[in-house]
Amino acid sequence: MNNINRADLNVTKLIERSLEKRNQKERYFRIYGISSLVIAVVFLLTFFASIISTGYQAFIKTDIELEVFLDSEVIYPNGTKTEEDLFFADYDSLIFTSLKEHLPELKNRKERRQARLILSSGASYKIQNKIIKDKSLVGQTVSFILPLDDEVDMYLKGYVDTESSENSRKITDFQIALVENLIEKDLIHRNFNTTLFVSGDSREPELAGILGALVGSFMMLTITFIISFPLAVSAAIYLEEFAKKNIWTDFLEVNINNLAAVPSIIYGLLGLAIFINFFGFPRSAPIVGGLVLSLMTFPVVIIASRAALKSVPPSIRDAALGLGASKIQTTLHHVVPLALPGMLTGSIVGMARALGESAPLIMIGMVAFVVDIPTSITEPSAALPVQVFLWSDAPERGFAEKTSAAIMALLVFLLLMNSLAIWLRNKFQIKW
Amino acid sequence: MEEELDSNFKTVGNIRTEKSVIMNVEDCNVYYGDVHALKNVNMEIGKSEVLALIGPSGCGKSTFIRCLNRLNDTIDIARVTGKISLDGKDIYSDYINTSGNMDVVLLRARVGMVFQKPNPFPKSIFENVAYGPKIHGLCKDKNDLNNLVESCLVKVGLWDEVKDRLEDSGTSLSGGQQQRLCIARAIAVQPEVILMDEPCSALDPIATERIEDLISELKQNYALVVVTHSMQQASRISQRAAYFHMGNLVEVDSSNKIFNDPSHPLTTNYISGRIG
Repeated sequence: MNNINRADLNVTKLIERSLEKRNQKERYFRIYGISSLVIAVVFLLTFFASIISTGYQAFIKTDIELEVFLDSEVIYPNGTKTEEDLFFADYDSLIFTSLKEHLPELKNRKERRQARLILSSGASYKIQNKIIKDKSLVGQTVSFILPLDDEVDMYLKGYVDTESSENSRKITDFQIALVENLIEKDLIHRNFNTTLFVSGDSREPELAGILGALVGSFMMLTITFIISFPLAVSAAIYLEEFAKKNIWTDFLEVNINNLAAVPSIIYGLLGLAIFINFFGFPRSAPIVGGLVLSLMTFPVVIIASRAALKSVPPSIRDAALGLGASKIQTTLHHVVPLALPGMLTGSIVGMARALGESAPLIMIGMVAFVVDIPTSITEPSAALPVQVFLWSDAPERGFAEKTSAAIMALLVFLLLMNSLAIWLRNKFQIKW
Repeated sequence: MEEELDSNFKTVGNIRTEKSVIMNVEDCNVYYGDVHALKNVNMEIGKSEVLALIGPSGCGKSTFIRCLNRLNDTIDIARVTGKISLDGKDIYSDYINTSGNMDVVLLRARVGMVFQKPNPFPKSIFENVAYGPKIHGLCKDKNDLNNLVESCLVKVGLWDEVKDRLEDSGTSLSGGQQQRLCIARAIAVQPEVILMDEPCSALDPIATERIEDLISELKQNYALVVVTHSMQQASRISQRAAYFHMGNLVEVDSSNKIFNDPSHPLTTNYISGRIG
């Protein structure tokens, strides 16, 4: 007994001595963990700060409020009053006539030309659209809020260095003087930029919007989900629950894991070769984009679904099989419902990755300049990440903030998808 | 005592039952890959009796019980040879040719099972009991089903405890209640044989006693095969007992004989507490 007691004392001492080392290790590990977290958060904040600081002004645009006399002689120069006249009428001159009234100081042709350029080319479309909707406006004086050129917008947002040489910037000193004059007369206003959310792409930054890209991305993701989720889940269920484990299933598993890591541009090339060249699908269309992204998401969803199925305890399968449920009943009634939250989360994570892909979409022609908002999945369309790529490449200063705005839209889209994933997981989670 | 028995070893005692035979096991061998887990087991299982399977861990009791409802099929590397019949029909016949006369689904409906760890479905208490009858189409209408669920829960003594919360999850019950729910779920399919794989090992003594009482009641109508680690429990509840050792069925006889006057020295050692 004495021996054991002495040994006990020894053990206590030994443990005490080792304790200090162990606690030290734990403290170090904590410090590593916290510091890596801090680094991650700093990176994230820098990223957000840079995007938001460049992009927040994209939500504001500069407009001019003008009373335009819709002279029927200018609109119907031939006196025919046809629909066609409305399309080809010279609205620009109507607007400019109105603008001239506020700027009596314009002396010569050169100054008038400079004054014309502070208006956006989109201004005349705005009047045209309104008149085509309501022809009775012809002959009346109507108040319009019209977009100004992006260079004016940039100047008012403080991006133009007025000290620099006039040749090195696109807005002239004379134009700046005109704008300041108009501001004094309370004609120039800064409004919320609804254009950004209701238009497609444009050559002019002040007319460009993200709606086309948003709709295109949404269509593609819907197609991706509809195609890849059921296919991948069925494949995962078959592989996990029914297939015999042998060399072929091992071979398949290796290949699926491999496919999940294949660079996305290769899927783009595959889509180009198969869907567009072989099947003759339209280029730049959401249907092809959706199919390509489905191919890309497919292995990711299979892997996630198999992991979810694996995590269902075997005791549930035993219980159902023991009652005489067939294999398929066991799987569909018991195993899949338990694995569903994991499957959904996995596939939404896969789709979130697909949402951010630009390389495969560029391969299938989605890099094209598309102004119209797509109304069907076979029409040419833009996509959010490609829109970011296109705008970031554009020379106009106005597109820089648009790029950040598009990135913000992409991030919000992602945030919504991930929230959906969490919501679905909680909804289908079965409490034990 | 850990050495293996001779490969020609023959079970001592009496492999026949005094009651009418419901299941018959002939030359049953199980292999897990290269491991020979169950060796040449021959035994009859009789109606209205409790057969207790005892033996040290890893001796093949659970393997044997899982042969009786072919649950070993779920293990890819498991291979079963020999003949096991239910009412004279070979349950493994479709192993060799697919035109067998006993479908595995029918077999498992006729031979129910209760597991070591209570494993209710994560569904409502009602659904747990109703699931078996539903998939087999045993009830003609909702009313019929309600009555069946109630009678099964009454039989396992759970009705009074859960009748007001049938919609609660089966997993919200206590361990003992869960195990009784699993027994109710098994008898709802109206099987002829119920296999129990250490049904009380995860339960406290009070819950254990309730399950033991339940086993004694159930044996009026069912043939029961119960794996247990507790010799006291085996002697309390069983009419026949079988002792397994290293994959061999060493001895099978009436419980009275096994627990009071075993024939084989290995059995003697085990029940007197020298091994196991």
